[in-house]
Amino acid sequence: MEGSLATQQATRPAAAPKRERDLRADLFRGLALWFIFIDHVPGNWLANLTIRNVTLCDATEVFVLLAGYAAGIAYGGTLLREGWLFAAAQVVRRVGSLYVAHIVLFVMFTAQVGYSAAALQDSIYIDELHLDAFGQEPYRALLEALLLRFQPAFLNILPLYIVLLLQFALTLPLLRRPRLLLAISCALYGVTRWFSLELPSWTGGGWFFNPFAWQVLFCVGLTLGYRAPGGPGPLLVLPWWRSLGALAVAWLIVTFVLLYMTWHRPEYAVQVPGWVMSWWENVDKTALHPFRLVSVLALTYLLAHWVRPEARWLRGAAAWPFVLMGKQGLPVFCSGILFAFFARLALEYSDDAPMQIGANLAGLASLVAVGWLSDWYKKRERTPRREADPALAERAA
Amino acid sequence: MRRLAKRLVVAMQAGALLALLAAPARASICDVPPELVDSPVPLEATARGLRRGVLRVLVVGSASVFGPGGSGPDAAWPGQFATRLREGWPGLRVELEVRGARGMMADEMLAMILAVTTPRPHLVVWQAGSVEAARGQDTDWLARRLNTGLEALRERGIDAVLMDQQFSRFMRANSDVDSYRDALRMAGSVHGAALLQRYAMMQHWAESERIDIERTPRERRVAATDQLHACLGRALARLVLDGAADAGAPSPDNAQRPGPPQSDAAPRP
Repeated sequence: MEGSLATQQATRPAAAPKRERDLRADLFRGLALWFIFIDHVPGNWLANLTIRNVTLCDATEVFVLLAGYAAGIAYGGTLLREGWLFAAAQVVRRVGSLYVAHIVLFVMFTAQVGYSAAALQDSIYIDELHLDAFGQEPYRALLEALLLRFQPAFLNILPLYIVLLLQFALTLPLLRRPRLLLAISCALYGVTRWFSLELPSWTGGGWFFNPFAWQVLFCVGLTLGYRAPGGPGPLLVLPWWRSLGALAVAWLIVTFVLLYMTWHRPEYAVQVPGWVMSWWENVDKTALHPFRLVSVLALTYLLAHWVRPEARWLRGAAAWPFVLMGKQGLPVFCSGILFAFFARLALEYSDDAPMQIGANLAGLASLVAVGWLSDWYKKRERTPRREADPALAERAA
Repeated sequence: MRRLAKRLVVAMQAGALLALLAAPARASICDVPPELVDSPVPLEATARGLRRGVLRVLVVGSASVFGPGGSGPDAAWPGQFATRLREGWPGLRVELEVRGARGMMADEMLAMILAVTTPRPHLVVWQAGSVEAARGQDTDWLARRLNTGLEALRERGIDAVLMDQQFSRFMRANSDVDSYRDALRMAGSVHGAALLQRYAMMQHWAESERIDIERTPRERRVAATDQLHACLGRALARLVLDGAADAGAPSPDNAQRPGPPQSDAAPRP
């Protein structure tokens, strides 16, 4: 969905070496984080309004692409200033905090599931579900969770993110060689899909999101985000071609129509030709089917062209909460998974209109609050000395 | 005196007539919103079976096919479904085979479906996706098995009806059930299989406080479970009879079935 700077930079002359923050990326990342919150609450009425209803891709694709974009900016800068080892250490530190966040969330979810399951114990109704894998083999489940091989529902994006960042720590220097990076990445994607490679999961099958496939989207994001020393634009630029734009629009329309006929109104599916259906049925999310990949890239290409980075509404009040959330993507993402958990509990208790409205308002407000707080904290962290020094000086005088 | 008696008789007749008129309008516990049942998929083989007076049905699923928590296997939805079919189609012989087990996933069910032998069933009812959702199996894994099974059934000229998960607030709060429902919906629509939207129906019954097993006190739970299965069997029978009517079988009650103009019912090659 969002802001590849590619097209914009192609048309703008290299003016300032100091890079301005692209609010489009923040805005769309913020929206994706909100959608992830919504889609993580089954039964949420707002789930009918997120982008997965109109395109093949959903908020996960947007999030991964923009996570790559943000990583390209942040660690690309460190790579230039401090070198590979330092930048990689920084990435690994981030992986560490993500891992801790994942384990904390896992413990909370498991405790809740165990408690609820015990409360419903006398109901054979949910007997077959035995959601409570932890209750059956606690030690094994704990071990598998630590190994990321046991991923309870809704705890599958963080493990993906962790593996993506680990891969990134190894391939950091390739940021300077984007063609090589993309070639390797696409090759890995192709091999993964062709040979059905996957990371095993304890419960059988593979991971919910296959990192070897999803890395391709992350790497595209990296390439879009990284800036060469002194240069204002990315190393690889895909300029705006009207024909390519038209193709992207056509793709999104065709997939929307197919989605409408098969998903929203299955009774029309009979009218879709068989050969189209045989393609369509294989569109998987686990290993990021090429159709999904093309959809998110097409959306990115169009939005990067149509939404101008200098657009005034990006600085307006309506965009503000989402830009703020997008700027602080990581803390907002982690807390969003937690808030979604609370929202699920709220809807389990009751899912009438007041609760739906309340849970969604509280969820969005909490996400914005986390964004605001992290933003404020980081700003404070960056500027304490200047404020502190005069005070010290006064006292010393 | 005679006048009075005459009036009484007329009043009674009118009352009876009113009662008759009112009866179909009175809400039954099992009623569901029309959009959940009004999109029949033509069921050719089933229509053939009905015309010949013998319908062979294979039900494959996980625990719910045996009606756990109810008064017994006969009260479970497959048995109730067969009973409703016989009611709707007097003289019909329904040969029902129910296979499955608690905790069974789509790979084992697929093996059962691929192993169907002669005499082939006319109809396979495949209840799937519950255990996968509970365990967080990747949705692609489920979709591949559904696709293989439905494709095999279509090649053999056997009708398929998918049945999705049970509605449960506990399950909804703790598993990503919508992704698995979507997988079933997609597989069904791609392969021209009908989908019995059990989840949506049960949610409707729970929210309208008619059948809500999770919140039924324990002493009334067996009766509520039986009621649930009776309603599911009824809904399934309606879906199947509508689908058969769509494929050219005469409607059992000879009534005009309301609905959109029928599309050509030929299955895709």
